[in-house]
Amino acid sequence: MTDTSTKVAVASQPAAQLDLSERDFRPIDWLAQRGIFVFTTVLILVAAVFIDGFASLANITDVFNRAAPIGIVAVGMTFVVISANYLDLSVVAQVATAAVVLIGVSNEYNIVAAMALSLVIALTYGLINGVAVGVFDANAVIVTLSTTFIGLGLLRWLTGGSIYFGPPESLIRSFGTTKIGPFPLSMLVLILMAVLLSLVLTRTNFGFLVRSYGSNRAATRLAGVNTAWVVIGAFMISAIGAMIGGFVLAAFSNTAVSSMSTGFDFEALAAIIVGGTSVFGGRGSVMRTLLGVVFVSVLTNIMVLSGLGFGYQQMAIGALIVTAVSIDALARKATLS
Amino acid sequence: MTAALELGSGESGDNLLARVRTVLGRRTEGRAVALLAVVAVVTAFLEPVVFTSYPVTLGRIALIGLVALGLTAVILMGELDLSVASTLAVSGVVMASIESLPLGIVAALLVGLMIGAANAFFVVAVGINSFIATLGMLFFLRGSAFVLSNEEPVRLANRDAGIAFGKPFLGPLTPRMLLFIGAFIALQVFVTRVRVGREFYAVGGNREAAYDAGIPVTRRIVTGFMISGFVAAMAGVINTLERTAADPTAGSTVLLASFAAAIVGGVLLTGGRGSIFGTLLGATSLGILQVALTLSGVQVDVQNIVIGLVLLLAVITDPNSVRGVVGSVRSLLQGRSRA
Repeated sequence: MTDTSTKVAVASQPAAQLDLSERDFRPIDWLAQRGIFVFTTVLILVAAVFIDGFASLANITDVFNRAAPIGIVAVGMTFVVISANYLDLSVVAQVATAAVVLIGVSNEYNIVAAMALSLVIALTYGLINGVAVGVFDANAVIVTLSTTFIGLGLLRWLTGGSIYFGPPESLIRSFGTTKIGPFPLSMLVLILMAVLLSLVLTRTNFGFLVRSYGSNRAATRLAGVNTAWVVIGAFMISAIGAMIGGFVLAAFSNTAVSSMSTGFDFEALAAIIVGGTSVFGGRGSVMRTLLGVVFVSVLTNIMVLSGLGFGYQQMAIGALIVTAVSIDALARKATLS
Repeated sequence: MTAALELGSGESGDNLLARVRTVLGRRTEGRAVALLAVVAVVTAFLEPVVFTSYPVTLGRIALIGLVALGLTAVILMGELDLSVASTLAVSGVVMASIESLPLGIVAALLVGLMIGAANAFFVVAVGINSFIATLGMLFFLRGSAFVLSNEEPVRLANRDAGIAFGKPFLGPLTPRMLLFIGAFIALQVFVTRVRVGREFYAVGGNREAAYDAGIPVTRRIVTGFMISGFVAAMAGVINTLERTAADPTAGSTVLLASFAAAIVGGVLLTGGRGSIFGTLLGATSLGILQVALTLSGVQVDVQNIVIGLVLLLAVITDPNSVRGVVGSVRSLLQGRSRA
């Protein structure tokens, strides 16, 4: 602070620009960084007070049951978003495929074969998306849009669009129905996944490279990093997240059909962005995504309880994505200018 | 740059050859020509009905092509408009909900323009990447279409107009074809002969340079998104007229095919390169492909697989990326030991 006068006297630039550490408080920055904590709290409080039936144990369990598969998909997809590759639209196809394979193959053979096959399929998805984006440098939105159509097309063609029902007594069924207090087991899986992936993102070399690639592609490449593997790795993690999300979804309803995961891509993206992970890449965390999942799930639940239909829910998710990204973009602009 | 130099210095005997090479090097339609040739030849042998019952094929090409044309205007500037499919659905629903037909059409087209302006607002004023902005818009508009239509197809009040619309109007051409041809000519002239349109290439090629050269970049981007929104709304109007009902889920299959048409046609996703003619070739090959698959009794699911594959191949064989791939593959295989 002592040399502020010299700065003003010497340069025509404002002092704030020279001294980054003493930046003024900006509401937009605060909103982008901390807003989600306040919004989630307020949303839950408002819902608890004003919405009939929100605070009941049955409803809270229901929220968890619906949040878990989307959350598991979202924490995996966070890696793709942080690596500045927008998103992985093909999770819709991946979740449905994993669910159908889990129920369908374990009906015919056994659950181990089902999970092994799912893993092979998930790794294939990760590899195809990752190679197309990382090696061929193609746009992630277009690549994953086409793999969604290919994947869903294959699934519907091979299954004939039929619904698979699991047996009334099975390991899958008991996983889907077991609860610890209000928490279904799927919620436990979500928390486990989040902790694990959070460690991968913050404590491992790979996690560091994902973040570094997301914030500066060229610099990461010039530093001698094999960037193709970083992108492939990010899509692999997204694919494995989508696979486990599909398992949980299938276990919850004990049925599987190719259309069961419609909208998962957008809800997962909304959760990631609302949580504060930047679509510009490089910045974000898995735990923030978890918070975003809570927000999105509570919001959807409120709309369902208030009797607002499918259309309104889609509008809300779309508006949420655009609003959250706008706040992020405006905060970045304010910081850079 | 090198192309221009070559053209200027080539004076001797191999002048013609050099010039041909230069011209070919500049064109971006190579993949579309190849795809069209393969599709046309295979179809001519296996399913010649596609060509004998050409009104069906032409109608399909027109629907894919119209949306793809609007997209081309946006992609040329290095932006993307994913919301076109939902724009098609919303404008159709708006049109069908209004009793009077002319009023409905005007309202639908206005909705398209407004959506384009909204997309441009988020991209230009807020500074969001257009991939994400229009993705959010895609979902928001799809929801709006469901809400406006109460989640059911809306019947068109004036059904006779719809039936008349499907009849040949000029020779064998239906009004849909004529509108498509009109849009094609208008856009072709716009991006090659009109200054504003030519500046689209500059904005896409190097935005900073375009800005420094005095091109109003912001206004060009707004124009591009409004063209895309308007054209998508036009496709929505045509679709509604032909089916005499507006379906809130319309357009999801068109989205994939029209993207494939534009990208196969050589429009570079990073902007600055591509042509309207390439998009036309792309739309033609995809239209023939789709109709051929439908006529040979292939399920919709398998059609989606085929078109998805075409799109995936088109986007990874982008001339620019192929050049970089060689280097990437080398580093992928060799790797580098990290110290």
